Amino acid sequence: MLKIENLTARVAGKDILNGIDLSINAGEVHAIMGPNGSGKSTLAQVLAGREDYEITGGRVTFDGQDLLALKPEERARAGLFLGFQYPVEIPGVNNVYLLKAALNAKRKAAGLPEVDAYEFLALIKQKMKFMEMSETFLTRGVNEGFSGGEKKRNEILQMLVLEPKLAILDETDSGLDIDALKIVAKGVNSLRDPKRAVVLVTHYQRLLDYIVPDQVHVLSGGRILKSGDKSLAFELEERGYDWVKASRVA
Amino acid sequence: MSALARPRAESPESPALRAFEAQWHARTVDPLHAWHERAMRRFLRLGLPGNRDESWRYTNLRRLAAVDFVAATEPSDETPAAESGFLSGIPAGAIRIDIINGYPQLASHVPVAGLRITSLAQFARRDAAGLQTLLAEPTDAEQERWALLNAALFVDGLHLAIDGRLESPLLLVHQMRGSTANTVAHPRVLIEAAAGSRATIIERHVATGMPPTLCNSATQLALAPGAAIEHYRVFADGAAATNFDSLEIRQAADSRCKQFTVALGGALLRTNLQAHLDGAGAELDSFSLLVGHGPRHVDCMNVALHHAPRTHSRQTARAIAGDTSRVIFNSKVVVDVGAAHAESQQSSRGLLLSPQAEIDTRPQLEIHTDEVKCAHGATTGRLDPNMLFYMLSRGIDRATAQSLLVYAFLADVLTGMSVHETRAGIEADLIAQLPDSELLREFR
Repeated sequence: MLKIENLTARVAGKDILNGIDLSINAGEVHAIMGPNGSGKSTLAQVLAGREDYEITGGRVTFDGQDLLALKPEERARAGLFLGFQYPVEIPGVNNVYLLKAALNAKRKAAGLPEVDAYEFLALIKQKMKFMEMSETFLTRGVNEGFSGGEKKRNEILQMLVLEPKLAILDETDSGLDIDALKIVAKGVNSLRDPKRAVVLVTHYQRLLDYIVPDQVHVLSGGRILKSGDKSLAFELEERGYDWVKASRVA
Repeated sequence: MSALARPRAESPESPALRAFEAQWHARTVDPLHAWHERAMRRFLRLGLPGNRDESWRYTNLRRLAAVDFVAATEPSDETPAAESGFLSGIPAGAIRIDIINGYPQLASHVPVAGLRITSLAQFARRDAAGLQTLLAEPTDAEQERWALLNAALFVDGLHLAIDGRLESPLLLVHQMRGSTANTVAHPRVLIEAAAGSRATIIERHVATGMPPTLCNSATQLALAPGAAIEHYRVFADGAAATNFDSLEIRQAADSRCKQFTVALGGALLRTNLQAHLDGAGAELDSFSLLVGHGPRHVDCMNVALHHAPRTHSRQTARAIAGDTSRVIFNSKVVVDVGAAHAESQQSSRGLLLSPQAEIDTRPQLEIHTDEVKCAHGATTGRLDPNMLFYMLSRGIDRATAQSLLVYAFLADVLTGMSVHETRAGIEADLIAQLPDSELLREFR
């Protein structure tokens, strides 16, 4: 579904990604772990199309399409979803309007008619209940005045409504207490499907207790240093990232 | 007619000034002649405002000074009716009065309880001395030059006396009609709100501007103790219209005034607000929604003067400028010696939508007493790239995302409007001037 080949990127003159190779198949969940500043978030943002990053080399294909040639909104409509590490507050733009606009943009691109307003509201309410979110969400501005945990839940809610083929969740677990973490994990697991894939970008193994990945990759210095199954995450937790770097040098 | 002093040297041969002087000489003598004459003398002595005048630094009137203006005449029966397309958002059951070229159209008016409506011409014939006590000469004539010209040259206008609680909003529709280019009119409106009265007043300017017109309007709004008034002035003129509007508000003790200035049309628009908080506990909430579109030039000048203790003023301005437009927002708060425990807030935010557009905001504060709380903040910027990317990453196209963000930016002012239809009408006009308006319409 997603194939990254020797991807390099820089921001403000500094090389951040130094040759990423990664293949993700439909039905898989991949975890990308790594220390601060390793390039995890950059990779997520580059895949979503953030324009501040300069792609200096490599290729990315998504369902056979050249992903890097698409605008951010086209990537989203093609089925890519980025769950933000820091979801943006947009006062004055209602949560429901945003989601409806997003869903309709996707449906339009797929040649489908706009969603019926009544059915849409019913859908949102059902997903909100599943994510254990308060009804006040319906009347508020996008992420406006939300706590860190509410913002992350809102990201997952958006994901559930938009049903992406590939969800890239950038540190969705950070700043969550254990109850919120379980709810977020429940949301992600509900989307697991042989036709979809999920990339979890995370610092900690904790999230992986609830969302079990098929593969774990360790990113450091803008490269994937090591890949393995879920046991790699436990090993990392025990031995730290320096162990990976040291074993790489050895 | 006595000879009048020549204008000061700045623009001695200005055709506009000569035209105004000629209009003065052509006037029929009315019961307020001496009062008008005093204003005319002062105006001619001061001349047109220029860039040496502090409050006119950002608006160049050189092109306007070269125009040979023609006085607008009283509309006849043959004058075509206004196109309804210019009047979106009329509240249900509104009491509507049309003012054409400054002349109120009262023939078909039905009496309303708690409201007395009189034309100024009629008022002057009946009680010239009484009218003169109500008419205000601009307190700051140096800066209020157009209000001074209005005082000199208005022929008719409207007097509204509100006594009690008006359930239906009052809608005053200012129209300009003229078959020749550069018609000028000086509409004048006097509103007196009696003690404890309540009303909503909407002044809507809808000149088509074809051929080009100048509307130099002036409104005085006086609130007696405990009165509560919500006042709108909405400028939805056509693309070639010029509008100068001066609004003077006087507030007695414990009165509350919510004032909206909405700039959505015209080529050149200058609005002045002078709010005098004369009585203890008076409260003013002023909102300015200024939209620069195409080559439009909008210059908004708000002054709140705290003369009494425990007075409160809040000024909220949101300006957006696209294309090659320019929007200026000057606000000033003056707290007098006697205004202990006064509070004021000034918040102005500007949003630039094009590299050729310009926004200038300048909050000023003049405090002559202790024990006051005054806050001000002014920012101007472009759309937040983080917000934009967030929306793009959800599949929303750029134009729609930008429009939604602009709309959200103005929400602080729009949500303060309590007349639903007026707000909806303003929103519709506003959205029509944003990029990708069709898509945006459904997300209101």
